[in-house]
Amino acid sequence: MQTLNYEFPATQVARRAVHIGVVASGDLEILLAPPESGEPPDRATVRVRTSVNGFDTIWHDVLERFFARATLAGRWELNDFGATPGVVNLRLRQAAESATTNGADS
Amino acid sequence: MTDTENAALLGEQTWLDLLQRRSFIELDALGRATALLDPGSVRVLAGPFDRLESPWLMPQDVTPQADDGTVIARGTVDGHPAVTAAIEQGFQGGGTGEVSGAKISQALLLAAADSRAGTPTAAVILFETGGVRLQEANLGLNAVAEICSAVLDLRPLAPVIGVVAGTVGSFGGMSIAAGLCTRLIVTPQARIGLNGPAVIEQEGGVDEFDSSDHKLVWAVTGGEQRVATALADDLVPDDADLLRASLVSAVAAGVAEPGRYRSQRLDVLASRLATLDPAEQPTPADLRRLWGSAYEPVPTPAPPDGSPARHTHPETRGRAWLGALSGGVTPEAIIPSVLSATTHDARYLAVVPDPQNRFYRAREGQVGLTESLALAQSVRDLIEADRDAERKRAIIAVVDLPSQAYGRNEEMAGLHQAMAATTDAYHAARTAGHPIVAVVVGTALSGGFLTHGLQANQILALDDPHVEIHAMHKAAAARITLRSVQQLDELAKTIVPMSYDVRDWAELGLCDGLLAVDDADAPTPGDVRKVGAAITDAIERAQHGPLDLSNRLDSEAAVTTRHASRAVRDLLARQWNPEPRP
Repeated sequence: MQTLNYEFPATQVARRAVHIGVVASGDLEILLAPPESGEPPDRATVRVRTSVNGFDTIWHDVLERFFARATLAGRWELNDFGATPGVVNLRLRQAAESATTNGADS
Repeated sequence: MTDTENAALLGEQTWLDLLQRRSFIELDALGRATALLDPGSVRVLAGPFDRLESPWLMPQDVTPQADDGTVIARGTVDGHPAVTAAIEQGFQGGGTGEVSGAKISQALLLAAADSRAGTPTAAVILFETGGVRLQEANLGLNAVAEICSAVLDLRPLAPVIGVVAGTVGSFGGMSIAAGLCTRLIVTPQARIGLNGPAVIEQEGGVDEFDSSDHKLVWAVTGGEQRVATALADDLVPDDADLLRASLVSAVAAGVAEPGRYRSQRLDVLASRLATLDPAEQPTPADLRRLWGSAYEPVPTPAPPDGSPARHTHPETRGRAWLGALSGGVTPEAIIPSVLSATTHDARYLAVVPDPQNRFYRAREGQVGLTESLALAQSVRDLIEADRDAERKRAIIAVVDLPSQAYGRNEEMAGLHQAMAATTDAYHAARTAGHPIVAVVVGTALSGGFLTHGLQANQILALDDPHVEIHAMHKAAAARITLRSVQQLDELAKTIVPMSYDVRDWAELGLCDGLLAVDDADAPTPGDVRKVGAAITDAIERAQHGPLDLSNRLDSEAAVTTRHASRAVRDLLARQWNPEPRP
């Protein structure tokens, strides 16, 4: 079990809080909350809690690549149960899409 | 596949319908709750952003889930107010933990309060669970007891509908709760059982149950078999719309007549068990023939000729303490493995070993099918005898049992349903005003303790190294959580609900007295006086305390150890009714 914290610059703000995924084997859940008043509107703070130790560099690279394109400010919480980088990326994009498009919460 | 298997999977549908259907099984917990409730009516309570996660998982290197894997959603079912508790099978196999369990029981209690206040509020429980989450062992076990109690509190006021869709199915103590439901809806993919096939194989060997034989597993515990033997009510294909239609009619049917619930029909259970002889190795097909698809008494065979088998009586703590505590009364064997002693103010009950038990998986004092029935009958008899009494006699559950019975015959016959009958009886006695006191004098493990002990108003335990209260014995728990026994011991030092030490168990908020004695195996007169006095005090407290199990959340120890359960109770109460719009 490892808790990793990252921060990335962001230019957009999430429209709404979104929850995606399940802490199931090979999967993860993501909670994205827009910045609250007092929190910087230009930072994405990411906390990863993962059941698998020793993948700090890979987490950093996957997240860096994602936040280079989807620059979405807010508090990102990732609860991971051994998801592969491909699944992580998919869940991140799902979260970003739900947080920026119009319509009901997923 | 044979034609009959096709028929079960398809229901009334054609293959084309099946291909075009909206699968229910493929949905996650929120998706399932949403598919069952009226469109637009869904309101999630204690959701992920409330972050009521389990406090026990991080210290064990297990990633928690923000809603602890259970979705509580309020809404309506064809206009009827309802609350849904959907268990997420992906997270920890749907295992019941402190928080996820408290979410279900508190939601049921709030529905009961609304129902009492004039708004009948149905509950829908989506069972997908492997049972108690072993990382939260004793708190998970207690959570199941509280859920069972809350189902029974709500059931006379509004229907409690269970849905088991698969693929995990319903196993462990939560299946007792399933057995208490007003109506049970299943798919052919569903399974319902007390012990999972892998655990039975582990405990009883591959000859007892081959867990890799999927055909056998579904033949014994599958949804189709459960409906064919009236242990579930509606068999519906995996189709979200058909499942919703089935739920709509179940909710519309409302509550059943008192006495007509499956878990109250001791007449049916007794007649069914009389037809079953493990020595004949009955098959699932035999069971359909013997029992039929209606939950009604079946013809029973004549008792065997000749003198009854001689049963030997191994000396155990349960037998010793039952005899000592009940004073001069000669204990009566309701069946050789269930003893009862009735004094002028209390009935003492204990499950004891019976080396000649025809159910060979229950010979060492395990709670099996006939033990569950005998306990339920004895408790119900006392309720009946004291119906008009001003002061109801106490029931003292003397607890010394290794576990529930792990066996194929037990699962085939529906051990969960037999245990539901006992749970229902104890709950009925408690709510009728009989003080129920459990006294743990030996081991109190898992489903055995759920059935005989955990519905008590008051729980006492001897402060003795051989007293052990837990969700599973150590070796099995280690195998299932992929740990060594040493690792388990190490974890138990810091994770209180995991501990096998009764002194740690006493810190959980469920213990109403830890009693030091001189000789727990053969109680001295001083020991008997001391425990007897503690029971008298416990009866007194029960008489003046709540009739539900809320004292386990309000006790001094619970305030610290069960703060997560208390937070669930507070939050659900706050969110239960929508905030008025300004």
